Amino acid sequence: MIGAGWWCIEAASGLLEPREREAVLGDLAEAGNAAWRGLLDVLGLAMRRQLLLWKSWRPWVSVFGVALPNSFQLIGFSLLVSEMFRHMLGQGLGAEGTAFLFCRIVLLAIVAWSCGFAVGAVSRRTLWANIAACFLPCLFCLSRFGVPHQSPLSLLLFLPFAIWGAWQGLRRVRLRLSSAITLAATASTLVMFGWNGSLIHFLALIWPGWFLVATARKRPAKA
Amino acid sequence: MLGEFEYLIITAAAGLGDQAYGAAIRDAIEETAGRKCSVGALYTTLDRLEAKGLVQTWMGEATQQRGGRAKRMVRVTAEGEAVAKDFYDAVARISRGAAWAFRQTGGPA
Repeated sequence: MIGAGWWCIEAASGLLEPREREAVLGDLAEAGNAAWRGLLDVLGLAMRRQLLLWKSWRPWVSVFGVALPNSFQLIGFSLLVSEMFRHMLGQGLGAEGTAFLFCRIVLLAIVAWSCGFAVGAVSRRTLWANIAACFLPCLFCLSRFGVPHQSPLSLLLFLPFAIWGAWQGLRRVRLRLSSAITLAATASTLVMFGWNGSLIHFLALIWPGWFLVATARKRPAKA
Repeated sequence: MLGEFEYLIITAAAGLGDQAYGAAIRDAIEETAGRKCSVGALYTTLDRLEAKGLVQTWMGEATQQRGGRAKRMVRVTAEGEAVAKDFYDAVARISRGAAWAFRQTGGPA
Protein backbone atom coordinates (compact mmCIF):
# COMPACT_ATOMS: atom_id res chain seq x y z
CA MET A 1 0.00 0.00 0.00
CA ILE A 2 1.19 3.47 -0.80
CA GLY A 3 -0.24 6.96 -0.74
CA ALA A 4 -1.79 9.29 1.80
CA GLY A 5 -4.06 6.60 3.24
CA TRP A 6 -1.15 4.34 4.09
CA TRP A 7 0.77 7.30 5.49
CA CYS A 8 -2.19 7.95 7.87
CA ILE A 9 -2.21 4.28 8.88
CA GLU A 10 1.53 4.34 9.61
CA ALA A 11 1.15 7.55 11.62
CA ALA A 12 -1.76 6.10 13.63
CA SER A 13 0.22 2.91 14.25
CA GLY A 14 2.63 5.03 16.30
CA LEU A 15 0.06 4.58 19.09
CA LEU A 16 0.88 0.85 19.21
CA GLU A 17 3.81 -0.98 20.76
CA PRO A 18 6.65 -1.57 18.24
CA ARG A 19 6.14 -5.36 18.12
CA GLU A 20 2.43 -5.04 17.60
CA ARG A 21 2.84 -2.25 15.05
CA GLU A 22 5.04 -4.53 12.96
CA ALA A 23 2.49 -7.35 12.95
CA VAL A 24 -0.55 -5.13 12.37
CA LEU A 25 0.99 -3.15 9.51
CA GLY A 26 2.08 -6.40 7.89
CA ASP A 27 -1.44 -7.85 8.23
CA LEU A 28 -2.97 -4.73 6.69
CA ALA A 29 -0.48 -4.71 3.82
CA GLU A 30 -1.23 -8.38 3.17
CA ALA A 31 -5.01 -7.90 3.33
CA GLY A 32 -4.86 -4.99 0.89
CA ASN A 33 -8.13 -3.51 2.17
CA ALA A 34 -9.18 0.11 1.68
CA ALA A 35 -7.02 2.58 3.57
CA TRP A 36 -9.93 3.88 5.65
CA ARG A 37 -10.67 0.38 6.90
CA GLY A 38 -7.02 -0.10 7.81
CA LEU A 39 -7.03 3.20 9.64
CA LEU A 40 -10.17 2.24 11.58
CA ASP A 41 -8.55 -1.09 12.45
CA VAL A 42 -5.42 0.56 13.82
CA LEU A 43 -7.35 3.22 15.74
CA GLY A 44 -9.75 0.58 17.07
CA LEU A 45 -6.86 -1.51 18.35
CA ALA A 46 -5.15 1.52 19.92
CA MET A 47 -8.41 2.46 21.64
CA ARG A 48 -8.94 -1.06 22.95
CA ARG A 49 -5.38 -1.07 24.30
CA GLN A 50 -5.97 2.22 26.11
CA LEU A 51 -9.29 1.04 27.54
CA LEU A 52 -7.66 -2.15 28.81
CA LEU A 53 -5.08 -0.07 30.68
CA TRP A 54 -7.91 1.55 32.62
CA LYS A 55 -8.89 -1.81 34.12
CA SER A 56 -5.90 -1.37 36.39
CA TRP A 57 -5.86 0.87 39.49
CA ARG A 58 -2.76 2.71 38.26
CA PRO A 59 -4.19 5.29 35.85
CA TRP A 60 -7.08 6.04 38.23
CA VAL A 61 -4.73 6.70 41.12
CA SER A 62 -2.32 8.79 39.07
CA VAL A 63 -5.02 10.90 37.41
CA PHE A 64 -7.54 11.31 40.23
CA GLY A 65 -5.18 10.82 43.18
CA VAL A 66 -2.27 12.95 42.05
CA ALA A 67 -2.47 14.88 38.80
CA LEU A 68 -5.90 16.50 39.09
CA PRO A 69 -6.14 17.40 42.80
CA ASN A 70 -2.51 18.29 43.26
CA SER A 71 -2.45 20.50 40.17
CA PHE A 72 -5.05 22.76 41.76
CA GLN A 73 -3.12 22.84 45.02
CA LEU A 74 0.21 23.45 43.35
CA ILE A 75 -1.27 26.24 41.22
CA GLY A 76 -2.45 27.94 44.40
CA PHE A 77 0.88 27.35 46.07
CA SER A 78 2.76 28.72 43.04
CA LEU A 79 0.72 31.89 43.25
CA LEU A 80 1.42 32.15 46.99
CA VAL A 81 5.16 31.81 46.46
CA SER A 82 5.07 34.38 43.65
CA GLU A 83 3.19 36.82 45.86
CA MET A 84 5.67 36.36 48.70
CA PHE A 85 8.56 36.82 46.30
CA ARG A 86 7.04 40.01 44.88
CA HIS A 87 6.47 41.25 48.40
CA MET A 88 10.08 40.52 49.29
CA LEU A 89 11.35 42.45 46.27
CA GLY A 90 9.09 45.40 47.02
CA GLN A 91 9.12 45.78 50.79
CA GLY A 92 11.44 43.11 52.06
CA LEU A 93 10.46 40.20 54.25
CA GLY A 94 13.16 40.28 56.87
CA ALA A 95 15.33 37.33 57.77
CA GLU A 96 12.46 35.25 59.10
CA GLY A 97 10.23 35.99 56.13
CA THR A 98 13.00 35.18 53.67
CA ALA A 99 13.64 31.87 55.40
CA PHE A 100 9.91 31.12 55.29
CA LEU A 101 9.82 31.95 51.57
CA PHE A 102 12.83 29.72 50.98
CA CYS A 103 11.09 26.85 52.80
CA ARG A 104 7.99 27.33 50.63
CA ILE A 105 10.04 27.32 47.44
CA VAL A 106 11.74 24.10 48.54
CA LEU A 107 8.36 22.62 49.44
CA LEU A 108 6.89 23.59 46.07
CA ALA A 109 9.85 22.06 44.23
CA ILE A 110 9.85 18.81 46.24
CA VAL A 111 6.10 18.25 46.13
CA ALA A 112 5.84 19.10 42.42
CA TRP A 113 8.80 16.88 41.57
CA SER A 114 7.56 13.94 43.64
CA CYS A 115 4.03 14.26 42.20
CA GLY A 116 5.48 14.25 38.68
CA PHE A 117 7.68 11.29 39.52
CA ALA A 118 4.79 9.29 40.96
CA VAL A 119 2.62 10.01 37.92
CA GLY A 120 5.38 9.00 35.50
CA ALA A 121 6.28 5.85 37.40
CA VAL A 122 2.79 4.62 38.26
CA SER A 123 1.14 5.07 34.92
CA ARG A 124 3.54 5.45 32.02
CA ARG A 125 1.22 4.38 29.24
CA THR A 126 -1.61 6.70 30.28
CA LEU A 127 0.60 9.73 30.65
CA TRP A 128 -1.60 11.64 28.19
CA ALA A 129 -4.46 11.47 30.71
CA ASN A 130 -2.22 12.83 33.45
CA ILE A 131 -1.07 15.63 31.18
CA ALA A 132 -4.70 16.51 30.48
CA ALA A 133 -5.55 16.30 34.20
CA CYS A 134 -2.70 18.69 34.94
CA PHE A 135 -3.27 21.16 32.11
CA LEU A 136 -7.04 21.48 32.46
CA PRO A 137 -6.76 23.09 35.93
CA CYS A 138 -3.94 25.25 34.59
CA LEU A 139 -6.07 26.48 31.69
CA PHE A 140 -9.07 26.96 33.98
CA CYS A 141 -7.07 29.06 36.43
CA LEU A 142 -5.27 30.99 33.70
CA SER A 143 -8.60 31.89 32.12
CA ARG A 144 -9.88 33.27 35.44
CA PHE A 145 -6.66 34.86 36.56
CA GLY A 146 -7.21 38.34 37.93
CA VAL A 147 -4.45 39.11 40.41
CA PRO A 148 -3.14 42.65 39.81
CA HIS A 149 0.62 43.19 39.33
CA GLN A 150 1.18 39.49 38.89
CA SER A 151 1.92 37.57 35.71
CA PRO A 152 -0.47 34.70 34.94
CA LEU A 153 2.61 32.57 34.42
CA SER A 154 3.21 32.73 38.16
CA LEU A 155 0.50 30.06 38.44
CA LEU A 156 2.73 27.65 36.61
CA LEU A 157 5.85 27.84 38.79
CA PHE A 158 5.39 24.20 39.77
CA LEU A 159 5.32 22.93 36.19
CA PRO A 160 9.08 22.70 35.47
CA PHE A 161 9.60 20.64 38.64
CA ALA A 162 6.59 18.43 37.87
CA ILE A 163 7.72 17.84 34.28
CA TRP A 164 11.24 17.02 35.44
CA GLY A 165 9.86 14.56 37.99
CA ALA A 166 7.57 12.94 35.42
CA TRP A 167 10.51 12.56 33.05
CA GLN A 168 12.55 10.84 35.77
CA GLY A 169 9.61 8.60 36.62
CA LEU A 170 9.17 7.63 32.98
CA ARG A 171 12.85 6.72 32.76
CA ARG A 172 12.35 4.39 35.72
CA VAL A 173 14.98 6.25 37.69
CA ARG A 174 15.21 4.88 41.23
CA LEU A 175 16.50 7.04 44.05
CA ARG A 176 18.71 5.75 46.83
CA LEU A 177 16.64 4.88 49.89
CA SER A 178 18.36 7.49 52.05
CA SER A 179 17.72 10.24 49.46
CA ALA A 180 14.09 9.21 49.09
CA ILE A 181 13.51 9.20 52.84
CA THR A 182 15.15 12.61 53.15
CA LEU A 183 12.94 14.03 50.39
CA ALA A 184 9.74 12.50 51.74
CA ALA A 185 10.46 13.51 55.33
CA THR A 186 11.38 17.05 54.28
CA ALA A 187 8.23 17.37 52.17
CA SER A 188 6.02 15.95 54.93
CA THR A 189 7.52 18.26 57.55
CA LEU A 190 7.24 21.33 55.35
CA VAL A 191 3.68 20.46 54.31
CA MET A 192 2.75 19.95 57.95
CA PHE A 193 3.99 23.39 58.96
CA GLY A 194 3.54 25.38 55.79
CA TRP A 195 0.24 24.19 54.37
CA ASN A 196 -3.21 25.27 55.41
CA GLY A 197 -5.54 22.57 54.18
CA SER A 198 -7.52 19.51 55.15
CA LEU A 199 -6.10 16.11 56.06
CA ILE A 200 -7.05 14.75 52.63
CA HIS A 201 -5.10 17.52 50.93
CA PHE A 202 -2.20 16.87 53.27
CA LEU A 203 -2.17 13.15 52.43
CA ALA A 204 -2.58 13.83 48.70
CA LEU A 205 0.50 16.01 48.78
CA ILE A 206 2.78 13.79 50.82
CA TRP A 207 1.99 10.33 49.44
CA PRO A 208 3.99 10.84 46.23
CA GLY A 209 7.04 11.50 48.42
CA TRP A 210 6.51 8.25 50.31
CA PHE A 211 5.91 6.49 47.00
CA LEU A 212 9.50 7.46 46.20
CA VAL A 213 10.58 5.73 49.41
CA ALA A 214 8.62 2.59 48.52
CA THR A 215 10.23 2.38 45.08
CA ALA A 216 13.72 3.45 46.14
CA ARG A 217 16.81 1.28 45.73
CA LYS A 218 17.37 -0.59 48.94
CA ARG A 219 21.13 -0.90 48.37
CA PRO A 220 23.54 1.43 46.61
CA ALA A 221 24.28 0.32 43.03
CA LYS A 222 27.60 -1.46 42.61
CA ALA A 223 30.15 0.30 40.44
CA MET B 1 -15.19 -21.60 29.76
CA LEU B 2 -14.20 -19.92 26.54
CA GLY B 3 -16.07 -17.10 24.89
CA GLU B 4 -17.44 -17.63 21.41
CA PHE B 5 -14.86 -15.40 19.74
CA GLU B 6 -12.03 -17.02 21.70
CA TYR B 7 -13.24 -20.42 20.48
CA LEU B 8 -13.29 -19.18 16.87
CA ILE B 9 -9.71 -17.92 17.15
CA ILE B 10 -8.41 -21.10 18.75
CA THR B 11 -10.19 -23.28 16.20
CA ALA B 12 -9.02 -21.18 13.25
CA ALA B 13 -5.44 -21.21 14.56
CA ALA B 14 -5.54 -24.97 15.13
CA GLY B 15 -6.86 -25.51 11.60
CA LEU B 16 -4.15 -23.33 10.07
CA GLY B 17 -1.38 -25.18 11.92
CA ASP B 18 2.07 -23.78 11.10
CA GLN B 19 0.50 -21.05 8.99
CA ALA B 20 -1.49 -19.53 11.84
CA TYR B 21 -0.81 -15.81 12.18
CA GLY B 22 -2.89 -12.64 12.53
CA ALA B 23 -4.06 -12.04 8.96
CA ALA B 24 -4.62 -15.74 8.19
CA ILE B 25 -6.72 -16.26 11.33
CA ARG B 26 -8.72 -13.16 10.50
CA ASP B 27 -9.39 -14.38 6.95
CA ALA B 28 -10.39 -17.83 8.20
CA ILE B 29 -12.89 -16.39 10.68
CA GLU B 30 -14.38 -13.96 8.16
CA GLU B 31 -14.70 -16.59 5.42
CA THR B 32 -15.82 -19.54 7.52
CA ALA B 33 -17.87 -17.96 10.28
CA GLY B 34 -19.12 -15.14 8.06
CA ARG B 35 -18.55 -12.44 10.63
CA LYS B 36 -16.36 -9.35 10.67
CA CYS B 37 -13.17 -9.71 12.63
CA SER B 38 -11.45 -6.43 13.45
CA VAL B 39 -7.72 -6.26 14.06
CA GLY B 40 -8.42 -4.79 17.49
CA ALA B 41 -10.68 -7.65 18.55
CA LEU B 42 -8.26 -10.24 17.16
CA TYR B 43 -5.10 -8.95 18.82
CA THR B 44 -6.63 -8.13 22.20
CA THR B 45 -8.26 -11.57 22.29
CA LEU B 46 -4.99 -13.23 21.31
CA ASP B 47 -3.31 -11.44 24.21
CA ARG B 48 -6.00 -12.66 26.57
CA LEU B 49 -5.68 -16.23 25.30
CA GLU B 50 -1.91 -16.06 25.65
CA ALA B 51 -2.22 -14.75 29.21
CA LYS B 52 -4.47 -17.75 29.99
CA GLY B 53 -1.86 -20.09 28.49
CA LEU B 54 -4.21 -21.29 25.73
CA VAL B 55 -2.04 -20.08 22.82
CA GLN B 56 1.58 -19.14 22.30
CA THR B 57 2.58 -16.29 20.02
CA TRP B 58 5.92 -15.13 18.66
CA MET B 59 7.19 -12.90 15.90
CA GLY B 60 7.85 -14.80 12.70
CA GLU B 61 9.77 -13.86 9.63
CA ALA B 62 9.10 -10.88 7.39
CA THR B 63 7.85 -11.44 3.85
CA GLN B 64 7.81 -9.26 0.72
CA GLN B 65 4.03 -9.69 0.45
CA ARG B 66 3.69 -7.93 3.81
CA GLY B 67 5.94 -5.00 2.95
CA GLY B 68 8.86 -6.60 4.76
CA ARG B 69 7.02 -6.81 8.06
CA ALA B 70 7.02 -9.73 10.47
CA LYS B 71 4.02 -11.94 11.29
CA ARG B 72 2.70 -12.64 14.75
CA MET B 73 2.62 -16.42 14.65
CA VAL B 74 0.16 -18.36 16.81
CA ARG B 75 0.26 -21.91 18.15
CA VAL B 76 -2.51 -23.50 20.19
CA THR B 77 -1.19 -25.13 23.36
CA ALA B 78 -2.32 -28.50 24.70
CA GLU B 79 -4.37 -26.67 27.32
CA GLY B 80 -5.94 -24.55 24.58
CA GLU B 81 -6.95 -27.65 22.65
CA ALA B 82 -8.48 -29.21 25.76
CA VAL B 83 -10.46 -26.08 26.61
CA ALA B 84 -11.67 -25.73 23.00
CA LYS B 85 -12.76 -29.37 23.01
CA ASP B 86 -14.69 -28.82 26.25
CA PHE B 87 -16.41 -25.82 24.66
CA TYR B 88 -17.28 -27.78 21.52
CA ASP B 89 -18.63 -30.72 23.57
CA ALA B 90 -20.74 -28.39 25.67
CA VAL B 91 -22.20 -26.73 22.56
CA ALA B 92 -22.85 -30.12 20.95
CA ARG B 93 -24.55 -31.48 24.09
CA ILE B 94 -26.75 -28.50 24.65
CA SER B 95 -27.71 -28.38 20.97
CA ARG B 96 -29.04 -31.96 20.86
CA GLY B 97 -32.65 -30.98 21.41
CA ALA B 98 -32.57 -27.86 19.27
CA ALA B 99 -34.59 -27.78 16.05
CA TRP B 100 -31.76 -26.28 14.01
CA ALA B 101 -29.39 -29.04 15.16
CA PHE B 102 -31.87 -31.69 13.97
CA ARG B 103 -32.22 -30.02 10.60
CA GLN B 104 -28.46 -29.86 10.13
CA THR B 105 -27.89 -33.51 11.05
CA GLY B 106 -30.87 -34.76 9.04
CA GLY B 107 -32.93 -35.75 12.09
CA PRO B 108 -36.66 -35.19 12.57
CA ALA B 109 -37.75 -31.59 11.98
